[in-house]
Amino acid sequence: MIKVLTNLEFEGVKIDTHFLKNYSVELEKLAKISEELVYEQAGVRFNLASPKQLGEVLFDKLKLDPKAKKTKTGQYATGEEVLAKLAHQHKICDDILTFREFTKLKNTYVDTLPELINPKTGRVHTTFGQTIAVTGRLSSINPNLQNIPIRTEQGREIRKAFIPRDEQHVLMSADYSQIELRVVAAISGDEAMCDAFRNHKDIHTATAAKVYNVPESEVTKEMRYKAKSVNFGIIYGQGAFGLAENLSISRTEAKEIIDNYKKEFSGIQKYMDDTIQFCKDHGYVKTLMGRKRWLRDITSANFTVRGGAERKAINSPIQGTAADMIKLAMIKINAALMEKKFQSKMILQVHDELVFDVVKEEIDVMKKLILDCMQTAMILPNEVPVVAEVGFGNNWLEAH
Amino acid sequence: MDKRLFLLDAFALIFRAYYALVKSPRITSSGKNTNAQFGFLNSLMDLINNQKPSHLAVCFDTKALTERHVDFADYKANRQETPEDILAAVPDIKKMLQGFNIPIVECDGYEADDIIGTLSVKASQCGYQVFMVTPDKDYGQLVNENVFIYKPASAFSKAEILGTKEICAKWDIEKVSQVIDILGMMGDAVDNIPGIKGVGEKTAVKLLKEYGTLENILDNADQIKGAIGEKIRNGKADAIMSKKLATIILNVPCEFHEEDFSLSEWNHDMLSEIFNELEFRTIGKRILGEGFKIGSRENVQTDLFGNEIASKTENRKSAEESVQQDLFSQEIMPLKTIHEVAHQYLLLDTLEKRSAFISQLSQTTTTPPEICFDTETTGLDANVCELVGMSFAVKNHEAYYVPLPANREETLSILHEFDILFNNADVLWIGQNTKFDLLVLKNYGIEMKGNLFDTMLAHYCFEPEGKRSMDLLSETYLQYRTVSIEELIGKKGKGQGNMRDVELEKIKEYAAEDADITLQLKEQFVTLLKEKKLKKYLMK
Repeated sequence: MIKVLTNLEFEGVKIDTHFLKNYSVELEKLAKISEELVYEQAGVRFNLASPKQLGEVLFDKLKLDPKAKKTKTGQYATGEEVLAKLAHQHKICDDILTFREFTKLKNTYVDTLPELINPKTGRVHTTFGQTIAVTGRLSSINPNLQNIPIRTEQGREIRKAFIPRDEQHVLMSADYSQIELRVVAAISGDEAMCDAFRNHKDIHTATAAKVYNVPESEVTKEMRYKAKSVNFGIIYGQGAFGLAENLSISRTEAKEIIDNYKKEFSGIQKYMDDTIQFCKDHGYVKTLMGRKRWLRDITSANFTVRGGAERKAINSPIQGTAADMIKLAMIKINAALMEKKFQSKMILQVHDELVFDVVKEEIDVMKKLILDCMQTAMILPNEVPVVAEVGFGNNWLEAH
Repeated sequence: MDKRLFLLDAFALIFRAYYALVKSPRITSSGKNTNAQFGFLNSLMDLINNQKPSHLAVCFDTKALTERHVDFADYKANRQETPEDILAAVPDIKKMLQGFNIPIVECDGYEADDIIGTLSVKASQCGYQVFMVTPDKDYGQLVNENVFIYKPASAFSKAEILGTKEICAKWDIEKVSQVIDILGMMGDAVDNIPGIKGVGEKTAVKLLKEYGTLENILDNADQIKGAIGEKIRNGKADAIMSKKLATIILNVPCEFHEEDFSLSEWNHDMLSEIFNELEFRTIGKRILGEGFKIGSRENVQTDLFGNEIASKTENRKSAEESVQQDLFSQEIMPLKTIHEVAHQYLLLDTLEKRSAFISQLSQTTTTPPEICFDTETTGLDANVCELVGMSFAVKNHEAYYVPLPANREETLSILHEFDILFNNADVLWIGQNTKFDLLVLKNYGIEMKGNLFDTMLAHYCFEPEGKRSMDLLSETYLQYRTVSIEELIGKKGKGQGNMRDVELEKIKEYAAEDADITLQLKEQFVTLLKEKKLKKYLMK
């Protein structure tokens, strides 16, 4: 794996500086618009970048929250969470958040990416970390690829800056589909969930059908959305409280959904109980491959501390196994590329995704090779299929 | 026989022991943190073996409130909650003490300080030399010609015995009774004793030189000029109370029984039981002899995935145990450095020396050959920086440094002398964060064909949380402090120099040490990985 990552770091990726220059100007304009909107609504001009001044405007002047919390230094807290909660009260919060997002994008990526270009190669060479994330996932710095926002349109645009090395190449992106949920199904052996994957169903629709006890054809968008939240909530050990918060529903409703979920997918509940017990007995949990993580707090007498450890106990084998899988796939792909003397290169790894600089003539073979390596890198138990999807284009956004 | 009584302040030692190992905690297979138990046992054995006490007792605080809490509600109110692991350690430590037949002295309503103070007065009257074992500065007030503080070793200092002379010198005072005068004025943040607001140690000492006692200072407060006088006048009540709080109570209802306190026969069964429980394999053997073994609780279990897992005791009985053979005597001793450890670091600055070295390495019969290596460069971006040198090690305390010139062509030609090693697919290259070195070499067109053992990755496998810089690993696992890069090129930041400009002798020692240390770490990590059944890390 070290050698594989050395190759990735050696190759680097080409950056479209022209695009970034224009995008920087555009983001600045957008940020300015939001900023002006904020001042207009506040009825006063102030330094929006100063949390202190912002807090005073929001809570002393506009009195948005009589019980506003203060930070250690005595200022009002104006973090993302605080603002998001107040968003339904006053549009100003949305505009502040938008302003912050645009400024952050501009500062952390759009303006800095060009500075990271290696003068010798003209490319950006990220550095991967194998020993930073406790779950086993890779991390990266200069730039941190894991953090590039994908939820918003403006965040996704950043990916346009990552381009093929020249006219003869395209960027190819291959991505595991629902990998963590597949791992959950496979290691828990939950019949209903395994079955859904084996039959190549849309997992969230299948989940919603079970939880709401309706035929799949009658699952509404909203049901699917809620089921999806539960599915991911499970991976992160979320309880009724967290789910309710996430979906803005009552805790009673959240509890009902979770109870139904646990009943329908009893194997998953069992997996969670067994894993916590295993961790209590052995002090660690492990991935399918056997990589271990020790959770000393699992026997803590402190409820909160122990709860945290329990969530980690459930989550670590899942995320960890997915992380192991993509690493195995990378090793396999790297070996195949060398062996077959392909000109195409593997250049990036982010979450469940691999990015390649592909010579146009090799598009078809590469597609086949990548999918094959990714899907067979680690065979999951209980015949849960592993599925990867691949796309290509003239930049990373198009390829994804 | 000398009458030497050692009185231990239990909690002071337990806290120290716990935090001394907090970066690399000892955890048993059932997940119990045994830092405190281990460290306490270590200090105890060190005392018994090296200080030859004739009598010994361990004094504990109890949970009951003391007079001080009644006098001053905020007394020790700033203390954080004691870590769970420490609370859980106390019964184990008491059990060990019972096994050693060492008396445990505690008395509701009094702190260990008071008990130790009272006992030291009584024992010194019976002709004993008394040593109060504690790192706590308050004890200075009790010292006299027969009573001493024994301050145990820490990572930064050796053990010390403090008598009247040392205490007076330490505080710059005339007599030890002034310790409480100082504390009365400067207060004590640890115990939340207020003192006089705005008066620190220096002012307190200055005032004492003039007035002798706190009381005298307060009586003459009106004559003291300026802001200080003002502060003293305002702080009178606090000062009097603070002095009282800092004064160790000498009439605790406890007795000194010579025969109880004398060291006597150990209860081997009891000790062996508790060591077993705590999985103290190595130290257990040291104390109880080779016959001591961690009991076999063979219970083959299967894990979630149906695989057989090893018996519990085997599972996490970390190779910390093997580390601890050294730790036993040295863990709280100061860290070793390049100046104390014998080493042979050689410079390979000619073609002849290099080729002799290379042929020596390629002819070694050990299969596969294991070579530890490290690169020195002009920067931290592997794709931009230049090579300054390479270091190699194959034997502990023996390493080699190959300087490389700024001229790329010349460097390349030296690098190619090593092709026979680089191209050998059988070599196991050992390094710390090898990805960096590999990438640097790749930028010179060099690829290592052999396998890799990365100490950073290895450490990640058995200790995924936390940090793992080489300096930290070296201090934790080898009790060795490496030469700091800052000694070579200065502090981080703009002014930091370039490795290219460092004197050859210095860089040789630094670089060779890195390779040497990495090699030593690898040996320990291999054992740890084996014991934790984590050999597959290479894939990772």
